[in-house]
Amino acid sequence: MEGQVALLLAVSLLVLGLGTLLSRRNVIWKLLGLNVASGGAALFLVAVGHRPQAVPPILGWGPGPAADPLPQALILTAIVIHFATLALSLVYVIFLTEHLHTQDVPKLERGEDE
Amino acid sequence: MITLVLSLLAFGLATFALRQRRLLWGVVGVGAHSLALAGVYLSLAAPDVALAEAAIGFGLVTFVLLLALRRAGRLVVAATPTYPLLYQQGERVAGLEWEILKRLAQRLHRDLEILWVPRQEIPRLLEAEEADLAAGGFLPAQSEALPLSRALVPTRLVEVRLGPGPLGAVAGGRAADFLPPGGRRFEDDEALLSALARGSVGGAVVDLLRLRDWHFKGKIPEVQLSYFPDQLSFHFAVAPGEEETILAALEELLDELERTGELEELMRRYLR
Amino acid sequence: MKWAAWLVAMILGGLLAWTSWGLFPRPALPPWQEATAYWGARNAVAAIVLGARLYDTLFEVLVFAMAMVGVRLALRPLPKRRARPPVIESPLLERAADVLVPAIGVFGVYLAASGHLAPGGGFPAGAIVGTGLLLVALARGIRALAQEFPQPILSQLEYGSLAALLILGGGSLALGWRGGWLLTLANMLILIKVSTGAWTVLEHFAAHRGEV
Repeated sequence: MEGQVALLLAVSLLVLGLGTLLSRRNVIWKLLGLNVASGGAALFLVAVGHRPQAVPPILGWGPGPAADPLPQALILTAIVIHFATLALSLVYVIFLTEHLHTQDVPKLERGEDE
Repeated sequence: MITLVLSLLAFGLATFALRQRRLLWGVVGVGAHSLALAGVYLSLAAPDVALAEAAIGFGLVTFVLLLALRRAGRLVVAATPTYPLLYQQGERVAGLEWEILKRLAQRLHRDLEILWVPRQEIPRLLEAEEADLAAGGFLPAQSEALPLSRALVPTRLVEVRLGPGPLGAVAGGRAADFLPPGGRRFEDDEALLSALARGSVGGAVVDLLRLRDWHFKGKIPEVQLSYFPDQLSFHFAVAPGEEETILAALEELLDELERTGELEELMRRYLR
Repeated sequence: MKWAAWLVAMILGGLLAWTSWGLFPRPALPPWQEATAYWGARNAVAAIVLGARLYDTLFEVLVFAMAMVGVRLALRPLPKRRARPPVIESPLLERAADVLVPAIGVFGVYLAASGHLAPGGGFPAGAIVGTGLLLVALARGIRALAQEFPQPILSQLEYGSLAALLILGGGSLALGWRGGWLLTLANMLILIKVSTGAWTVLEHFAAHRGEV
């Protein structure tokens, strides 16, 4: 039950992030959308690893089935990588802002100095 | 059950954040959403992921985004649309003040962002430092003590009388100061004009520039006007505390535009 | 055009939900307890991150290091802002920083050191220590703090921990080292790597964009 709820949340976060990514024109808004979408993707994997009444996959935590530790391990590293790539892309956004004075994607594509 | 509540919270916060117009609210909302998402991970028996999401998604990502979009990166202008000065033409913004703002943003190495707000909201936005500049035919009311730029375009206030009934004006500006007792205040031009068309107000106190625009668009017929005696003019206003940075740069820019004759040329192009 | 973007996103999301609904109910797990104990851990996630899928983690740390190098290099040609002393609005933040920072540091080290026994691990611990540095930075100004942690020493720490981590990983993969000591050591090295990396990003952003 919880797995399905979290799966639905993951899909709706993906839709929300992807829609923002496609429809906004400002680069930082696009990155915020990407941030939400990446959270959705992470939650999708964790939700798939969940079982009804699961306990954390730690020895001696308690009775009951354990959640699948593999997706959790993958997501742990993915969150850190997401931070690193976000920082790097923000650096390039700052670079563009300093040089072209805009964060608007259509203007950036025209290379307009406005 | 807890999963459901936290999921709804996370989704609601994400929707709230991504529907905002101001980036600052968007970033703060996404940070709060990350915290709710960490709660969802915890309820899914993934405490390691929850810790990582809370520490990185909520802490580091929010802070890096805040640093990246500091006020130094953008010049936020709170404005009311006013036809030849600052107005929207389809997707584009145009006008005399827009030309000046564009050059100012370039000079300050900032991005221009325009918030279209009702006139009465502007002082609050400037004082809360949510906006750096006020534009769009800004006529300061007597009670507003904002730092102003030099007089840009001279104008006067007039009283238009179309029929019997009280006078109306847009709330917050100088025109509302001149409203006689019993006058009614409206949020913006559209509300005032539709009240005029309905006949629920008999006339309006308005500046000459807006009146000319209304005539051109056929919103009101040519009628007898009575002028208020004060000579007024449109200004830019800046947020308190920005006198030495934005206002100084603006005055410098206006000096330069005047010296090169560009300002005169712009005035001719936009005001005819 | 906006509605088209949202339509595309919704169609993709609908497809994803539709195709993934058949994943439930999930099959039972393989015997993960034995595998976790084999790597000398109690937390199965730590056993996977630092044991069974160590390649993943090593290259992930490499990607993190590359991104930090990218931040340094890409920001170098940009002009630096003038240093302005921060406005201390109330002494409360300063006092709070003095009291909280040791606690945050100890908590971070505890999370990293016990990462193979309980929830935690080097990555969140590094982020927590980075956030603690940020609290001090908010109280005393990022530029002032940056002078106390000079860049060269930080770089040596960062690349030193990366090299030690690679050696540790190589030993584990080639010579079959394993056990609780290896997991603790690797988590501590990851803590150093992530916290110095996070501090580098924050310090560079602040130097080029001004204080918060």
